[in-house]
Amino acid sequence: MSRLNRRTFMTRAGAAASSVAVLSALGPQAFGQDKQIRHFWWGNPERDKRTFAVIDLYNSKNPDVVVSGETLGFADYFTKLTTQIAGGNMPDVIQQGYGVLFEYIANGAVVPLDDYVGKSLDISKIDQSAIDAGTVDGKFYALSIGANSHMAMYNTRLFEEAGIAIGTDFDPYGYTYDDLARIGAQIKEATGVPGTDDNTADYQNFSDFIVQKGAKLFNPDGTYGATQEIVEEYWSIWQGIREAGATPPGPESATVAGVSDLSQLGVVTGKSAMSYLWSNQLVGAQGLMQDTLGAAMYPNTPEMIPGSIVQPSQFICLTRDSVDPEAATAYMSAFVNDLDMTAILGLERGIPSQVDVREALQPNLSPAEALSVEFFAGIQGKTAPLDPPPPSGSNEVEQTFERVAVSVLLGEKSIPEVAADFLAQAQAILARA
Amino acid sequence: MEKFFQRNFAGYAFLAPWLIGFFLLAIGPILASLYLSFTKYNIVRPPQWIGLDNYTYMFTFDDRFIKALQVTFSFVVISVPAKLIFALGVAMALDKGIRAIGWYRALFYLPSILGGSIAVAILWRQLFNYDGVVNSVLRLFGGNGPYWLADPRYSLWTLIVLAVWQFGSPMLIFLAGLRAIPQELYEAAEIDAAGPVRKFFAITVPLLAPVIFFNLVLQMIEAFKSFSGAFIISGGSGAPLDSLLFFTVYLYEEAFSFLRMGYASALAWVLLLIIAAFTAIAFWTSKYWVHYENERG
Repeated sequence: MSRLNRRTFMTRAGAAASSVAVLSALGPQAFGQDKQIRHFWWGNPERDKRTFAVIDLYNSKNPDVVVSGETLGFADYFTKLTTQIAGGNMPDVIQQGYGVLFEYIANGAVVPLDDYVGKSLDISKIDQSAIDAGTVDGKFYALSIGANSHMAMYNTRLFEEAGIAIGTDFDPYGYTYDDLARIGAQIKEATGVPGTDDNTADYQNFSDFIVQKGAKLFNPDGTYGATQEIVEEYWSIWQGIREAGATPPGPESATVAGVSDLSQLGVVTGKSAMSYLWSNQLVGAQGLMQDTLGAAMYPNTPEMIPGSIVQPSQFICLTRDSVDPEAATAYMSAFVNDLDMTAILGLERGIPSQVDVREALQPNLSPAEALSVEFFAGIQGKTAPLDPPPPSGSNEVEQTFERVAVSVLLGEKSIPEVAADFLAQAQAILARA
Repeated sequence: MEKFFQRNFAGYAFLAPWLIGFFLLAIGPILASLYLSFTKYNIVRPPQWIGLDNYTYMFTFDDRFIKALQVTFSFVVISVPAKLIFALGVAMALDKGIRAIGWYRALFYLPSILGGSIAVAILWRQLFNYDGVVNSVLRLFGGNGPYWLADPRYSLWTLIVLAVWQFGSPMLIFLAGLRAIPQELYEAAEIDAAGPVRKFFAITVPLLAPVIFFNLVLQMIEAFKSFSGAFIISGGSGAPLDSLLFFTVYLYEEAFSFLRMGYASALAWVLLLIIAAFTAIAFWTSKYWVHYENERG
């Protein structure tokens, strides 16, 4: 070997260094040629089945990408996500809901999509209203995967057995709390099954009621919008329905207060003829039942001021921990645009916000999905405008409501007493948050 | 120094897995939580030092903290003695020289193995449901059971029963303790015409005192830390009406539902201090009622 002089040394070292650089640049392609994308959502058995099928399809269409799915029930989803944020290992693509989403955006866990729009992410066919709902301070963060609204689901067999004609005896888009007390008692009389769940501890119904009374859920200054009168009236109305014999006994309802699991709902377990949910849960709930479900709005007051809103049921978002945002956004794009994939997803997460997808789905809807579409047509003009996102702490107010309302169900304390207690706690929570 | 390591290297090498685990997975997080308890921390944003605010809020404004203490103390004060008495009773019955005692021991120990599991908590919820097994049995006898889980007057009792049912491990320890009591003492007492009650209080209890004390401390700590049963049966929220709001459940809710990691850390430290205080009290009183055989008295 020739003597190593300074010059050859430099050349060789340089070559070695550059070959290392080349190697490391090639590295990811050479050794792990598949791009890994993790997609995490909360679900139910029906949703999980469909989403995994979609992932399989995407993987077979894109051999250089491996999408893996992770799923949990709603109750545990955010707990797991929180620990993943702490660990810096959030999945690339996560599901978010209207409300909590904004806390994640504020915290920087969910990142803007603007850089990918028109490149890996196609939003040209998405409804403008859905894009607006996912936009904060001029930046686009979240891709809506379905419109949603509050929906009361009733067991059509029990309604029929009690001789209640839909449309004449019961108007699904315009019945009142008084109607509900009467019909519910009639069903109990005829079938032995109480006609409706007891919504004393149901925050969704309560939040509709606040708007039905002409108030706002949260005031512009961030304080709580419900007044002592509104809370008292709400609980008195449901006390009336309960005393009419239209609901399960109070303690029975207390056992399911705040429960979000579909399989424990009154209409699914057969403990009542009507339960109150989100419209996109219709497909999932129907999947757990033999009897056919019908769809109605939440009850209203005689003044008929709209209380329910239409909002994106869920979004998919890109997280700051994503290693390959290009590939992740391409997957997200297919998730809302690809006609084969969206055909599998159907309406399970709500009415799609992409116009071509809606048209393609129309001829092949399952009965439950067709009912969702019919429901959305029925509620047109009967819903309230979408409020700005709730302040942080709103989730805790909700849980407080579900907790204290149990003492109304059990008759432990008087309604005015519990109402005052709830409002004091709600204001304290919002002030602390 | 060098010599010391040379001589003990093998020992430390074998200890290493435990040492690493202890320092990395136990001491590290414990100290981190002490620091976090003086901060406002929601995981996503970096912790923000707020001094004693978490602690002052806890003791001055937080009604649910007080409620959690009440629930936890009620649980400890009722379930621990009940469990120990039950375990001692079963141990004494088994000590009578029953055939196939090994089988019984295993059988009675089974609930303790299953005890902390989620499956048992779910089973318990089914048993005490309004339409559950317990009420079905009561109906056979013409009674009508209450809503065990939805009624705050009864809900805690279902968990106390669950705790007592898991009497296996104190029972095994009692059994070993009973075996160690010399039979001559009982024989001598019988000659002096002592009845079973007299024998129990004059011989069994004093000689078993160290074992009773050991079980008491262990079970007390266990009861303060009890979590999974209350978490599952109350659906994670301490419902109904916070009657199952165990301290640990409240801590978990603050941490993972409301993302107040700083506050939850402060709660954890308060629980640690409470457990330490009660253990210290138990040790302090023990010198008046626990005597060891090798002691000169």
